[in-house]
Amino acid sequence: MTDSLNQQKPANIKEQLQACRSKEETFKALVTLSKTLTRLTAEEKTEDNKVKGCESAVWLIIEEKDGQRHFKADSDAKLMRGVLVAILSLVEGKTLAAIQKMDLKSELGKLNLSSYLTSSRTNGVLAILDKISAM
Amino acid sequence: MAFDTSSLRHLFPILAQPAYDHPLIYLDNAATTQKPLSVLDAIQDYYRSYNANVHRGAHFLSDRATNRFEQARDTVASFINAPEKSHVIWTKGATEAINTVAFGLEHLIEKGDEILITSLEHHANLVPWQQLAFRTGARLRILPLTSNGEWEPEFSHYFTDRTRIFAATQISNAIGASTPLQTMLDHAKQQDAFTLVDGAQAVAHYPVDVQTLDCDFYVFSGHKMYGPTGIGVLYGKSHALEVLMPNQTGGEMVRHVSYQATEFNVLPYRLEAGTPHIEGVIGLATACDFLNAQDRIALLAWEQSLASHVYSRLHKEGGIDIYSPEKNTTLVSLSVPNIHTLDLNAYLDSQGVAVRAGSHCAHPLMAQLGVAGTLRASFACYNTMEEANRFCDVLLEAIDLLNDE
Repeated sequence: MTDSLNQQKPANIKEQLQACRSKEETFKALVTLSKTLTRLTAEEKTEDNKVKGCESAVWLIIEEKDGQRHFKADSDAKLMRGVLVAILSLVEGKTLAAIQKMDLKSELGKLNLSSYLTSSRTNGVLAILDKISAM
Repeated sequence: MAFDTSSLRHLFPILAQPAYDHPLIYLDNAATTQKPLSVLDAIQDYYRSYNANVHRGAHFLSDRATNRFEQARDTVASFINAPEKSHVIWTKGATEAINTVAFGLEHLIEKGDEILITSLEHHANLVPWQQLAFRTGARLRILPLTSNGEWEPEFSHYFTDRTRIFAATQISNAIGASTPLQTMLDHAKQQDAFTLVDGAQAVAHYPVDVQTLDCDFYVFSGHKMYGPTGIGVLYGKSHALEVLMPNQTGGEMVRHVSYQATEFNVLPYRLEAGTPHIEGVIGLATACDFLNAQDRIALLAWEQSLASHVYSRLHKEGGIDIYSPEKNTTLVSLSVPNIHTLDLNAYLDSQGVAVRAGSHCAHPLMAQLGVAGTLRASFACYNTMEEANRFCDVLLEAIDLLNDE
């Protein structure tokens, strides 16, 4: 279920995003990244799986196996799908304790994605981070 | 003849800065306009030269501040052709003004009464009425658009002898369409309903005459008409303002207070509790002066020509759903099938083009249009034809980039 995310090594994603020198390059990198996300099925896009607070629709499914957390996600907006790939690459396969120790906001800042962390209602990245780190 | 944008462009220094190494193109004017130097100077002058509380102090600075504050009320009254300056009540904005009326009329609304609004309303002219209906047992009715986006030819039957309040926007913030306001107001008046017009999207573009409109209440915000944020106006006819129960008390709104009772002040002070937004008031009056100094007819024609040009260019391209009228509007609201408006917005932003994407605080209208949101380019006096064309070029680039699946 997380093959596509595993194919995208976190280091590669970090390199791709950190290489962006302009807002336009980040836009294009996110569009490229968005194509690597395994989309959810219609059945998985339930109200329960929806992340509240995003103006674009975002669904996030968290499963736990052998203490490790695995994530699946989708959005109706392409750039948000790219952002989701970047976020999930940071947390996929880690334990909840390890995830909670991470400063996800600052990690995303290092990936040139700090402009996606504003409190603007047009994006709900903070709500996604909250859901990822929740018990 | 085209409006001479170049003559006033330099009055808006904010527009001269780059955005991500591109020229900044500001097309989010329906959300808020930029402020001319005269407004910025007036606000600074207040704090530098005559900062004092108004109506309270008996000293040099307070006298100056109070005089300028009340002169501003004259300026705004004349800007909308209000017959008396006491008909102009300062509020935080159009939203607070509508809430002031919705709470202020509550004591006159009974179970079974009807409050009528149109389907073009944004949340600020919907939620206060919906909540008033919840509190009183009144019924909120919606005057709908047909599936073609037209008003039903026979909409008069929505106005009944139970209609106690009719509230309508002059121009929709989401799609730029106008309401047939005068006809609607005539129907409402035949039923002796209170009438409120939300002019937030109109005042920057159209000369407004509240006496010709003959509505009981007219509301607008300063920041959408080149003035500061946090200041707006509730205009009302005397009898309409007089029946409003103040929903905030304290400060200058009282005439005499004892522990047993309070006697409220006369209008306009009765509805203005607390220390007012003095620099906002000064700035708003200066924004009125700025607009009065323009050829308003030519200005409107220019803004409409920008919107109409964008409409026809994008309409010719095909594959773009445009929700705004083809003519007589100052904004273009659109969506592209299978591309999220936030994605289009992100690319436009990366190119320095500021627009608005989303529901425009009008969820029911979006539901009616069958979209989650739209992309809106809204024009103001300082926008140029080059900017309108650049918006179209960048939007088409965005569609190409995002349309690869």
